[in-house]
Amino acid sequence: MIFLTVGTQFPFDRLLQAVDEAFDRGMVQEEVYAQIGESQYKPRNFKGVMSLDKTEFDAYFTSASSVIGHAGMGTITMALKHRKPLLVMPRLKKYREVVNDHQVGIARKFEEFGHILVAYGAAELPEKIDRLKNFIPTPREDKAQAVVNRIRCFLHSLDCSGKSV
Amino acid sequence: MTMAKNLKICLAASAGGHLTQLLKLAQSWVGYEAVFVTTGESVAGELAKRGQVYVVGECNRSMPLKTFRVFLRCVKIVLKERPDVILSTGAAAGCMVCFLGKLRGAKVIWMDSITNTEKLSLSGRMVRHIADLFLVQWPRLAVKYKNVEYVGSVV
Repeated sequence: MIFLTVGTQFPFDRLLQAVDEAFDRGMVQEEVYAQIGESQYKPRNFKGVMSLDKTEFDAYFTSASSVIGHAGMGTITMALKHRKPLLVMPRLKKYREVVNDHQVGIARKFEEFGHILVAYGAAELPEKIDRLKNFIPTPREDKAQAVVNRIRCFLHSLDCSGKSV
Repeated sequence: MTMAKNLKICLAASAGGHLTQLLKLAQSWVGYEAVFVTTGESVAGELAKRGQVYVVGECNRSMPLKTFRVFLRCVKIVLKERPDVILSTGAAAGCMVCFLGKLRGAKVIWMDSITNTEKLSLSGRMVRHIADLFLVQWPRLAVKYKNVEYVGSVV
């Protein structure tokens, strides 16, 4: 099963329609289950619900063979954590799917490192879905500890300089 | 020598991705007194386990009146709590707390969100001028901007 998620905040009809059309062209072999949020588009080839609670969402996410979604940090972070093959389509400002085009930059960066697959538009989606089934994401090295250490070191220097009252 | 650990740290981040990234840094303020400023009620419960929480409400550039109310709440919080350090990941509310804290003599630490890959966030570009430690999550940004450090990313 491929889990398709567009987040709960804003609609993302373009992605739902693109996946639906990939089905029509025979490019999707697996069953798709979708969490469609506020989207208006009614898919013909797969089932979906508006929203899932966290437990349900986690269950679909972890049991899926792969995930398709928008290029939101929440989706990307979760896929990296569970080492799930993820295909994203960035939301674009010109379609009023988001307030700015930061999702394109994020998608490009994570694609560059081999962490995710990206379809920059609906036209690229069918081919990328096809690649998704054999895609093995490069695990991302967690560098949060380095950031934590840097901040701790900074706080420690304040603490020991007796700056605080 | 024993560490004094008497700093009060104000942790400011909008609900959602900004807060998620801030909480990835939770180990950095262990042992210090923590006060949170966030924008949404929905995350307040979870934060309350970690320290005092203030919810200032959502705001952005297109909502001047709301933004002004959020600003006033931030003023009150900073005057009441008198933090020694502000640590923020953005966005607008975090930026306000940084400036207000700085006026009162607090040190300012900013980590720009990982979603800013080519350019700092608008808030980040403002806070950079007053920050005592400014961290970015992409090496390229540290090359592009002065007084900006890259040591790693939280995702």
